[in-house]
Amino acid sequence: MTARVDLDAESVGRDLAALVLTIVELLRQLMERQAVRRVEAGELTEEQVERVGTTLMLLEDRMGQLRAQFGLAPEDLNLDLGPLGSLLPRD
Amino acid sequence: MTATATTARPARNATAVYVFAVCRGLAAPALAGLPGHRDGGALRLLAAGSLAAVAQEVPAREHDEEALRRRLAEPAELEGYARAHHEVVAAVAAATTAVPLPLATLYLSEERARQAVAGNAARFHRVLDRLTGRAEWGLKLYALPREPAAAAGAAPVPEAGAPQDPPASGRAYLERLRGRQRDREARREAAWLAAERVDAAVGELAVAARRLRCHGQEAGGPERQVLNATYLVDAGRARELAALVARLRRDPALAAHVRLELTGPWAPYSFADEGEAADGEG
Repeated sequence: MTARVDLDAESVGRDLAALVLTIVELLRQLMERQAVRRVEAGELTEEQVERVGTTLMLLEDRMGQLRAQFGLAPEDLNLDLGPLGSLLPRD
Repeated sequence: MTATATTARPARNATAVYVFAVCRGLAAPALAGLPGHRDGGALRLLAAGSLAAVAQEVPAREHDEEALRRRLAEPAELEGYARAHHEVVAAVAAATTAVPLPLATLYLSEERARQAVAGNAARFHRVLDRLTGRAEWGLKLYALPREPAAAAGAAPVPEAGAPQDPPASGRAYLERLRGRQRDREARREAAWLAAERVDAAVGELAVAARRLRCHGQEAGGPERQVLNATYLVDAGRARELAALVARLRRDPALAAHVRLELTGPWAPYSFADEGEAADGEG
């Protein structure tokens, strides 16, 4: 709560990357959930399912690369929202 | 009841009266050996009609609003302050029936403290009657991070975090996502149901129950708190409570999903008001 802000350039860059990637990760997970919902509802053709799945798979892969680039673990991409819990599911 | 409101800083040598708890005058405990706040005098009992307040004289400048805001914002200082408070409350509550007062309940003078206690005598007596022969117990439930692989059953659910072969197709990837989501939802629901079940079972044994806000997950900790409840239990049923919790812990349907943590007996902090809202349960 009272953690001091350390203003050295490298850690600021990493913190900013973590924040940006957290938002991207949130959107990515929302897209995944939406895709699963649409598959379950039978709204997509076989071909669309394949395309959406492949796109999401590539997106996940790319996300992993970005995290690795900034030295961030999956659990680094999250925000503690206090009484509301965490932004992304932790389990 | 908290009488800290004075905008001008108190004089250097002025004192204030810190009140820890209120008990029945006739049942007032011995206070020898209890330190209270480090910067205060010896603990004393202030007689207030049929009641007694466990009080301590403290330097007003160290306990006025401004000083407290500064002191309680520092984790170490806050801990020391809360510990000093809790030590006295716990000792008094162990010796006799007492109503714990909130942290930093301060009055400008002994006279004011006496008046405040005597003025609320009827309310204090009602609460004392309710707390007599009872103690508070805390129960916390934590959702276990993941079902043990053995209990997962026939359909093998891929581990979310574990390394795995990349899916062969877009469809396979979506199937894997779906499995993961279902697994998570199922575990979440099982944990909530377990919490409801445990709360109902323990609530039946308690005189009153109260649900507190679940604490956020410790940074990086794998367990999520799904129940943070507190119960007012007759002293004579403490053994029964322990046995019930032990039984719940052994219940395979619960053990697969949650971990139970029982603490107590505590001074009845959560039941220090008249608890209209909490009386309905149990």
